[in-house]
Amino acid sequence: MNTHTSVFGIFEPGPGWLFRLPVGWKYLLVLVLSIPTLVVAQWWFTLACLAVVLAVAATSGLVPRRMLRLGWMLWAMLGVLFLFHLATLHPTAAVMRPGNILVAVLAARLLTLTTSLPVLMDALATALAPLRLVRLDPAQAALAVALMIRSIPFLMGTVDDARDAANARGLGRNPARLLTPVMLGAVGYAERTGEALQARGIGDIQS
Amino acid sequence: MIELEGVSVVVPGSRHGQPDRTLLGDVSLRLPEHRVCVIGANGSGKSTLLRLLNGMRQPTAGSVRVNGHSTVDEVRAVRAQVGFIFTDPLAQLLMSTPIEDVELSLRSTVRNRRERTRLAQRLLDERNLGHLAHQSIYDLSGGERQLVALTSVLAVEPHVVVADEPTTLLDLRNRMALRRTFAELPQQLVYSTHDMDVAADAQRVVVVDGGRVVADGPPVESIAFYEAAMRVGP
Repeated sequence: MNTHTSVFGIFEPGPGWLFRLPVGWKYLLVLVLSIPTLVVAQWWFTLACLAVVLAVAATSGLVPRRMLRLGWMLWAMLGVLFLFHLATLHPTAAVMRPGNILVAVLAARLLTLTTSLPVLMDALATALAPLRLVRLDPAQAALAVALMIRSIPFLMGTVDDARDAANARGLGRNPARLLTPVMLGAVGYAERTGEALQARGIGDIQS
Repeated sequence: MIELEGVSVVVPGSRHGQPDRTLLGDVSLRLPEHRVCVIGANGSGKSTLLRLLNGMRQPTAGSVRVNGHSTVDEVRAVRAQVGFIFTDPLAQLLMSTPIEDVELSLRSTVRNRRERTRLAQRLLDERNLGHLAHQSIYDLSGGERQLVALTSVLAVEPHVVVADEPTTLLDLRNRMALRRTFAELPQQLVYSTHDMDVAADAQRVVVVDGGRVVADGPPVESIAFYEAAMRVGP
């Protein structure tokens, strides 16, 4: 089975200041670093924010090689965006559009690479506490987000699996042919996750 | 003690007009043994039988009780006592890394986060998995994943461990390692397998065919019965 590098990365403990920063401040940092690019909307500002995000990461021991390991699918999407705007003679948009996405993803990685998933879940459950007013369980909502993060590498891998299977059967590279197996893979994955939750009594306990 | 009394599991036919399918028919078993193995051909009803034991599958007739708790009326109590291990550990591991997955199991019993992390690391260390604690579950070998899945299940200290073909996806080395681990478990263990060496580790082997128990006894007799039934050709 193929799997992919998660867009959000995997937490590993580290000695840097970002690892010690309380998770609430990290969430704030993500917003401070990513939202201004959308408000200012200048190509040079996007590049400046990109440099700031990488600098913040570097001061905490997150080297650019680790920060930029986003998986080829995201890089390909950013490349297509860049080329599209360049081809339509919008060079500033060619920097800003994919650049702003990259800044947002890298800012999010500052959070996910320096914070373990259980800590993120606890913080999210606290932030979502008002959901109790509408009789929703914040802990279950946080668990759903954690499961989503865990599923990304698997679901991206199902695209590769479907393409490998199509190639093995000589069905060519038509992306439309991949749709059905990828959808079935995603549904199967969701079913198995549901079974695992049920088997481990996790839904029972959290509710 | 696990008790099944006149248990049947019937599901509707997959297409309109098709008759209902009986996955298990009128099965009655009392399982006080420490190690029980269920063997049978593909589609014989092994997985259905095992899934009944922690309430993942509900009987359409009869009753299943684990330590006196009904899997229908007291499913939470049953799941707290019965840990379940899937054939494919990737289907079971819900978090991105081993330590996060073990911590997820501990959320219900250990409120303090730091304590939870410490305990999860200790449990992984005890199974020689400590060095893998922060690796992606996708980067682990099949054997390592299965041991992580087992660690997550054992973290909540179940009284019974049910394992559905836990060695099927493992190579010989990992299969032997898992057998050793299973042999050391203090819990009652009920498992299914296609590997007759693994089946022989049990004190009692139940043979299932077509949703019915066709043999039940010591490993030597049950395995001989099963091998005779499965023999192909002259």
